[in-house]
Amino acid sequence: MEFSKFLNPSVKLNIILIISFSISVNSFILFPSVNNSFYVLFHLTFIYIIFYYYHYYLFVVALVYGILFDILLLNNIGAHLISFLSLLIFFVLFKKYLIRLSSYQIIFVYFITLVVLLLFEQFLANLIYDYKFNVFLILNFFLISLIIFIPTIFLFTKLDK
Amino acid sequence: MAPKFHIKVFQLTSFIKNLTIVSVFTLSFILVFFSKSDYYVIYGIKNISSSLVVPVTRFISAPIYAFSNLVDEYNQFKSLKFENKILQEEIIRLKKWQTLAIQNSRENNVLKKLLNATDNNLTLIKTASLINRNDTIYSKLINLNAGYEDKIKKNMSAINERGLVGKVIDTTAKNSRVILLTDPNLSISVKSISDGIFSLLTGSGDSKYLVSSFVKDNKMPRLGDIVVTSGTAQIFPVDLLVGKVAKVDKNRFFVLPFVDFENIDYLQIVTSK
Repeated sequence: MEFSKFLNPSVKLNIILIISFSISVNSFILFPSVNNSFYVLFHLTFIYIIFYYYHYYLFVVALVYGILFDILLLNNIGAHLISFLSLLIFFVLFKKYLIRLSSYQIIFVYFITLVVLLLFEQFLANLIYDYKFNVFLILNFFLISLIIFIPTIFLFTKLDK
Repeated sequence: MAPKFHIKVFQLTSFIKNLTIVSVFTLSFILVFFSKSDYYVIYGIKNISSSLVVPVTRFISAPIYAFSNLVDEYNQFKSLKFENKILQEEIIRLKKWQTLAIQNSRENNVLKKLLNATDNNLTLIKTASLINRNDTIYSKLINLNAGYEDKIKKNMSAINERGLVGKVIDTTAKNSRVILLTDPNLSISVKSISDGIFSLLTGSGDSKYLVSSFVKDNKMPRLGDIVVTSGTAQIFPVDLLVGKVAKVDKNRFFVLPFVDFENIDYLQIVTSK
């Protein structure tokens, strides 16, 4: 009983964040899509936590995951860190407008935020460290986002209940 | 007394909240700046991430590793009979080559003595095994279990039995990070063996071919020509095997690397003598 109290939706979502982060930074030769899927899942979960469980501790979470993603995937700090912090600032600034939206509108905003965030990371990596824009990767992310978006929303709604 | 206490708590919480947000932004700005200027603080963070975070992430993703290994073993088992037949044929072929190789080796030694030549231009620093790889998203990076304690330094070349694999871009005490040839952000200066055409190669993004980004005098190499490092950029030692020209276009050509980047277990870190 006590344990289930401790496992509130916010904690569960943070566990999903840790697992998806760990899997996305370890490549599996036989299943390369697993990495990409968990990378997209991490972003989905992070946006969901910001939208529904916003707390200022998320700035520290964004800092830690931003640095780790940047070091492990790009070997340079910048793209993920700036993207995650920008997302938080975006939410703080537009929170008053977002809460007025209907559930369908919020799902649409959620998906658009995900795609823009993934693109913004590529753009920043290109801008700050001159990493080449990888069209295959972007298409792969977009396709995975389309596939896993609805099941993930369904899962998160279940977790919320 | 109670309301006063509440006000104090509210003020303190608000202060901590603002302080956290300001600190996070200041720290982020400093880190991005230091990362751009290669400051030593960044090495510390990289050191922590490779020595602490990587093992934890490996532990968490262990079930997927186990499943991946299981599928791999099943695939190997499935192709066992076929591979056995191929290997038997290869043994017969290699036995013929062995006789010829022994003859050539003797001849080679005699000629080397006559020319007063050394064996090769490479110094082996360390043979290291792969810890994990981050080559699916963004950069094509792999982590090795040897670092600056083993005398590995930045910009040293990583090779295996098939040829050039990449170069060391970061070292910590016990780990080092190698960027693979297939990374679109890595350029290597190469020359073709038959014509001596100099060019620059980069990864093409599909992880399969290397593509020329510059060709000296716009002379294209021939299809099937072998490409080796030219040694002109002073980063890679000269004459390391890179790959074979697989496709030639009007302004560029594609090289199929000799190294199988999906099956890397051990690497040798080398430098020029």
